[in-house]
Amino acid sequence: MVSIKDYESDYANQWCPGCGNFGILKAMQEALVQLKILPHQILVVSGIGQAAKTPHFLKCNCFHSLHGRALPLATGAKVANHELTIIVNTGDGDCYAEGGNHLLHAIRRNIDLTVLVHNNSVYGLTRGQASPTAQIGMVTKMQQKGVINTPLKPILLALSLGAGFVARGFSGDSQHLSELIRAGIQHKGFSIIDILQPCVSFNPKDIYQWYKQHVNPLDDSQHDPGDYEKALMMATRDESKIPIGIFFQKEKPNFTDQIAALSDGPLVSKKFNPDRLESVFGRR
Amino acid sequence: MPFDITIKIGGEAGQGIQTVGSLLSWVCQRAGLYVMAINDFESRIRGGHSFIQIRISDRPVHAPHHAIDILVAMDQNTYRLHKNDVVSSGIILIEEDANIKDDKLKGVPFEKLAQDAGGKITSNTVAAGVCLALLGAPKQLIDEVLTQRFAAKSKKILDMNLKASGLGYQFVEAAAFEGVFTGGSGKSSRRLLEGSEAIAMGALAADCRFGAFYPMSPATGIMGHLVEQMDHIPLVVEQAEDEIAAVNMVIGAAFAGVRAMTATSGGGFCLMTEAVGLAAITETPVVIVNAQRPGPATGLPTRTAQADLLFVIHASQDEFPRFVFAPRNVHDAYAATARAFHLADKYQVPAIIMADQYLCDSWFTTEQSFEIPSAVKLYYATDEDLENPSDYRRFKVTESGVSPRALPCRGKALVVVCSDEHSEDGHITEDSTERIKMVDKRNAKLKDMRKEMQAPEVYFGDSDILLVGWGSTQGAIQEAVDILRADGKNVGSVTFGDLWPFPIQLATEVLQKARAFFMVEQNSGAQLGQIIQMQTGLNAGGAILKYDGRPFFPIEIAKDTQQHLR
Repeated sequence: MVSIKDYESDYANQWCPGCGNFGILKAMQEALVQLKILPHQILVVSGIGQAAKTPHFLKCNCFHSLHGRALPLATGAKVANHELTIIVNTGDGDCYAEGGNHLLHAIRRNIDLTVLVHNNSVYGLTRGQASPTAQIGMVTKMQQKGVINTPLKPILLALSLGAGFVARGFSGDSQHLSELIRAGIQHKGFSIIDILQPCVSFNPKDIYQWYKQHVNPLDDSQHDPGDYEKALMMATRDESKIPIGIFFQKEKPNFTDQIAALSDGPLVSKKFNPDRLESVFGRR
Repeated sequence: MPFDITIKIGGEAGQGIQTVGSLLSWVCQRAGLYVMAINDFESRIRGGHSFIQIRISDRPVHAPHHAIDILVAMDQNTYRLHKNDVVSSGIILIEEDANIKDDKLKGVPFEKLAQDAGGKITSNTVAAGVCLALLGAPKQLIDEVLTQRFAAKSKKILDMNLKASGLGYQFVEAAAFEGVFTGGSGKSSRRLLEGSEAIAMGALAADCRFGAFYPMSPATGIMGHLVEQMDHIPLVVEQAEDEIAAVNMVIGAAFAGVRAMTATSGGGFCLMTEAVGLAAITETPVVIVNAQRPGPATGLPTRTAQADLLFVIHASQDEFPRFVFAPRNVHDAYAATARAFHLADKYQVPAIIMADQYLCDSWFTTEQSFEIPSAVKLYYATDEDLENPSDYRRFKVTESGVSPRALPCRGKALVVVCSDEHSEDGHITEDSTERIKMVDKRNAKLKDMRKEMQAPEVYFGDSDILLVGWGSTQGAIQEAVDILRADGKNVGSVTFGDLWPFPIQLATEVLQKARAFFMVEQNSGAQLGQIIQMQTGLNAGGAILKYDGRPFFPIEIAKDTQQHLR
């Protein structure tokens, strides 16, 4: 039996006390335990930033890569071994700024990854600059007169590109978040969970309280995740209550399922076959 | 009687110049002749000027020849641009109604014959028929090659082309060149292929199973040759959203346990440089081909250069070991690529192959066989290989610098890698001792890596004067040596394929014997000359440099050498 203890890393945590990332780490551990996945059966890929340090604090196989590049790296790993369960931990700067192009195309590929975007509207590791999701007017040391660029709407972006699993979570509600992560892992295809994650160092002091008052967990009576148009509407509107939960879910053929070379097992398990190469070379 | 014939077919992009070149080359190949063809084109799909220059001989030829025996001018621009390169006994084929006076001219009603065959579009096939008749090629052989070439197309298209080549063939009353097709033995062991295909074959022979790329001339052909094999072997090739994605996909695939590669040109390689460092610090084996073209920035997209050497040996910040190879001919392109995979894996480092447009896009006959290994040695550690998988440390310090490499999710061992500086266990560290330990561990590999480096190819190495080059210019350099020696000059050559870690001792041994050595390179700064100076303290006596984006002709190197010897 796998337990939370199995997922506790020996490596000392480096996040600020009270960081919103702790809720995400806890939710990941709970989701993995509930899915009965063992640490050596999971690969966590991350980019750069506070979010990207997550796999060090979780016992797992880990590739902590470059800023913005977690998605292509995870894509390569998934193609090499499509039986892998891969989670990507990334931040709003990592995924929506530096790695924005990769996000667009990972969604188009519908590669079977579960992407957790730790979204706190600031760059924590470089000390508080505005991220692409920062609201207009947000003042930082580098945006001294307030942010003037339109904030990116991750849910709307993912829905518009046809992502098959689009959800928003809140790190302050790790029980709810772990359910989302579990559903994301179980979803065959690209899953993105944008996670509202308070930054205790660079967000306003009352940020936890503010989120707690403003998030609104969706239930079945409010929203059917198969309703694409309603999901789009919800993602477009700025409401006083922020919906959290699965906005949209629909399975469609994923990347590795559509490649003939992968139909009889992962690339990594194949044996070198000189005879077949002989015929390939001879064809010329 | 020995022969060495050069045919140049020129016209606008879109006129099917490459089809003519390919037909001529394959008919000659099938007859057992040696072929070397360069592909010169502009970065456009229609119009402009492009040509194929084919050299045909009964002896091996490894470089293009400057003088033209048959010029096929598919437009008047081709005549204007190249008429002065045609030898006095040469023939110029041009559309019959061209209002030009020239003794070498032979008017051919290309368009009319093409219309008779079924459409103007077959003008190029008519031209091929004319050329092959002038060379005295047997009609049956031409039909065989055409049938094979158009096998995938409709019967209507095949018949049209058979008729077009037949009409062109019949138009010629008598062959102008005798003995070309009489002596050919049709040796089956020979291959005719372009460098990009040889690189792809080398990758497959090394069990490459994943390729990712973003289209960029002149590298795209390499990935194209891989794509063709996707249905036949366990291989996935993905077109990425950019070069950064391509190289990171490759690193991800290699990390998960399959051999993987990407191919790009200088600009794309610039985008990949951060990831070269990622492969280095995570000790992930990857193979990257840089098919060079002139730069900076977009430069000359469809032309050739060797100007990225200093960049590539230093690319990415800080210091770490890497391999750099520059294939010198098509067989070398096959062997060096396979070796790059093997060595990248053995030492867990990035390996970079420096090709160029000339090597990738030119056709060469090679007699060396492309041997397929019966097995591919793998360098992975499984749980059984590890003493205690639950205490696995990916970056365990060893004397050689190489740590046992376990694969993620293939056993109990947890594989933790990180682009931050890390401890043996793969977790982030900022500890000063740990940092030094890891830098030293990575650098420790250099000692054995350098031992893997092969000596440069030496041609008349005891000569007073040595011409020194690297990569694809070897053929032109060695032929220049032949020209100079026939002229009584005591000249030889040294050509490097293994460039980094620089084989200091091997280079010193061959270079210090000569009275002087001259660099021959396709860049403006004699970059290998700079490396030789830096690594061995030896100074070149001069340099023969060409950086107009066109490949070297042997005669250019020979003439410039004569100048230096004066």
